[in-house]
Amino acid sequence: MTATMFKARASRPATGRRGGGRVRTVWREARRDPAKVVIFLLLLAASAGMLYPFFFMIVNSLRSENQYLNGSGFSTVSWSQLFANLPVGRELLNSALVCVVAIVLILALASAAGYAFAKLRFKRQGLLFFAIIGSMMVPLQSIIIPVYVNFAHLHLINSYLGAILVYAGFGTPFATFLMTTFFRGLPDEITEAAACDGLGHAGCFRRVALPMAKPALATVAVLQFIQIWDDLLVGLLFLQEPGNRTITVGLGVLSSGRVVSVPVLMAGSLVSALPAVLVYLFFQRYLVSGLTLGVNR
Amino acid sequence: MTAEAPMTLTLPAAGARPPSAPPAERAAPGRTRHGLGRNRARAGILLSLPALVLVLFVLIVPIGEAIYYSMTNWNGLTAQWVGPSTYTTLFKDPVFWRVLENNGILLLAVPVALGVPLGIAALLHEHVWLWKLFRSLIFLPTAVSWVVIGMIAVRLFAPGGTVNYLLGLFGLARFQTDFLGHEYTAILAVALTFVWSMIGTNTIIFLTGMSTVDPAIYEAARLDGAGRWAAFRRITVPMLKRYFQFTFVITMITAFTALFSLIFIMTGGGPGYGTTTLEFFVYQQAFDVGQFGTGAMLGVVLFVLLFGVSLVQLRLLREDR
Repeated sequence: MTATMFKARASRPATGRRGGGRVRTVWREARRDPAKVVIFLLLLAASAGMLYPFFFMIVNSLRSENQYLNGSGFSTVSWSQLFANLPVGRELLNSALVCVVAIVLILALASAAGYAFAKLRFKRQGLLFFAIIGSMMVPLQSIIIPVYVNFAHLHLINSYLGAILVYAGFGTPFATFLMTTFFRGLPDEITEAAACDGLGHAGCFRRVALPMAKPALATVAVLQFIQIWDDLLVGLLFLQEPGNRTITVGLGVLSSGRVVSVPVLMAGSLVSALPAVLVYLFFQRYLVSGLTLGVNR
Repeated sequence: MTAEAPMTLTLPAAGARPPSAPPAERAAPGRTRHGLGRNRARAGILLSLPALVLVLFVLIVPIGEAIYYSMTNWNGLTAQWVGPSTYTTLFKDPVFWRVLENNGILLLAVPVALGVPLGIAALLHEHVWLWKLFRSLIFLPTAVSWVVIGMIAVRLFAPGGTVNYLLGLFGLARFQTDFLGHEYTAILAVALTFVWSMIGTNTIIFLTGMSTVDPAIYEAARLDGAGRWAAFRRITVPMLKRYFQFTFVITMITAFTALFSLIFIMTGGGPGYGTTTLEFFVYQQAFDVGQFGTGAMLGVVLFVLLFGVSLVQLRLLREDR
C-alpha cells in the first residue's frame, strides 16, 4: 500500500505549487517507513558510482597537464589544445555523415523487409526470413576479416561507403526483426483495405504502414545511432585516413599513441560522448523499448 | 558501449518463433483473388530483396569465406589449402588456451554483472523520492562508447588512480598495485570495467521485468507478514526467470564480442596475453601479425562458441514453457 501510494505521488508532474508541500510529503513518507531513507541513500550512492567517471572526465578536461599531475587548479588550455591540434570538427562531421547514411539505409531496408515478412506472402519467404534474422547470430569479429579483404578488392577501404555498408549490413538483421515484430502487430484489415483501394502493396507499405511505424523506426534509429557512433573496430579498419576518421576512431587512435596529455584526451572524450548522451537524454524511451524487446519472444 | 549489445540482443529470440508462420497460415483464403495474390508475391520479393542482398554481401557470404579461409594459410593476398588440420594445430597451441582462459574469467564476471543490477533494480522498484532521476543516471553510461569508458578506466586503475586511493582509504593498502601492469590484475580491471558498464542496461531490463509483476501479489505477501527481503526472494526473483536468461545471454555476448574497443584502449591485449580475449585475438592475428587464415579460424571458433550457447539457451527456454 505504502509503495503504491508513494508511486502515485512521486510520478505526479510537479505543479506550480510551493515545493515545501512536496518535500513535506516525502518527509512524512520517510518517517512512516524508515527503510525508504536507506534505499534512497543506496540509490544516491549507486548513482554517484555511475556518474563518477563523467565527473572525472569533466574535471580533468579543465586542467593543464601539470595541473592534472598535481591534482589541483583549473584552466581551459587543454580545450584549446584539443581544437588546435586535432580535426575535431571534421571528425564529428564524419561521424554524423556515416551515422545518418547508415541509419537511413537500415531503416529503408529493414522496414521494407519487415513489412514483406509480416504482411505479404511469397515463395521461399521462410528461408529469406531465416537468412536475414539468423544473421544476427554472426559476431562482427567472425566476418570482419573476409569483409575487409573483399572491400579492399572493391576499393571500399578508406571510403565512407565501405564503412556505411558494414554498419548497415551489421545493423539490418536486428532492425528487420524489430520491424517484422512491429508490423505483425498491425491489424491486417488496415493493410488489406489499402491494398484493395488501388495503392498496391508497395504503395500501401509506403503510404499507410510506414507512417504508422514511427515509434518502431525511432527505436531502430536510436539503437543504431548509439551503436555506430560508439564503434571503434569497423572505423579503425575501414576509415584509416586521418581525414575520414570518425570521432570515436580519432580518439581511439590518439589514446593508443600514449604521448598525448590526459586532459586533452578527457576533453576529446567529452566531445565524442556528448552527441550520444544527448540522443540518449531525448530518446531514452525508445532505447529502453528496444533493449527490452527481446525478452518476451 | 553497451549499446553494442542490442545488435546481438535478440539472439535467443532469433530462432524462437518459426519464421513467417503467420503469413503462411493466412495464405489459403487470399489465394482466391489471383491478381492480388501474384502482386503480393511480387511485392514481397521486391521489398525484402534489398535487405537480403546487403545481408548476403556483408554477413552470409563472408561467414562462408571465413570458414573456407580458416583451413588455409591465408595472408590476405594468397591462400593455400591446408585442410581441417589447422584446427587441430590451433587446439594444441597453449596461447589459444591462455586466450580462452581470459574469456573464462570474463564469464565469471557475468553473474556479478547480473547480481548488482538486480539489487539496484529492486531498490529502484521501491519508487522512493527521485527514483526516476536515479534511473536515468544509472542508465546513462549505456550511451557512452567503450573507447571513452576505457580511457577513463585506464586512469582510474593507474598506480596513483582512484581505485588505489580507495583501497588505501579502506585499509586495503596491501592490494594497491599497478593494475594494468600485471596479467591477472589487468584482466580483473577489464572485468570490473565491463561489469560497471553492464549495470545500466541490465538494471533497466530487470526493472522492466519487475514492473510486469502484479502489485497485488506484493500486497498479499505484505498482508501475510512478508518483509521486503522475503518478497524479493520469494516473489521478485522467481518471477524474473525469463529476464535472468535474457540478461545472461546479452551480457555473455557482450563479454565475448563487444569488448574489443575496451581492451584496445585499456591494455592492447597485454601485458603478454593477459587481456587478449578470443575477439581481440582475431584482430591481433589478422591485422598485427598478418595471419588472416588464423584470424578467420578464431572468428569461426567464436561464432561456434556463441552459437552453441544460444542453442543451449533456446533449449532452456523451451523447457520453461
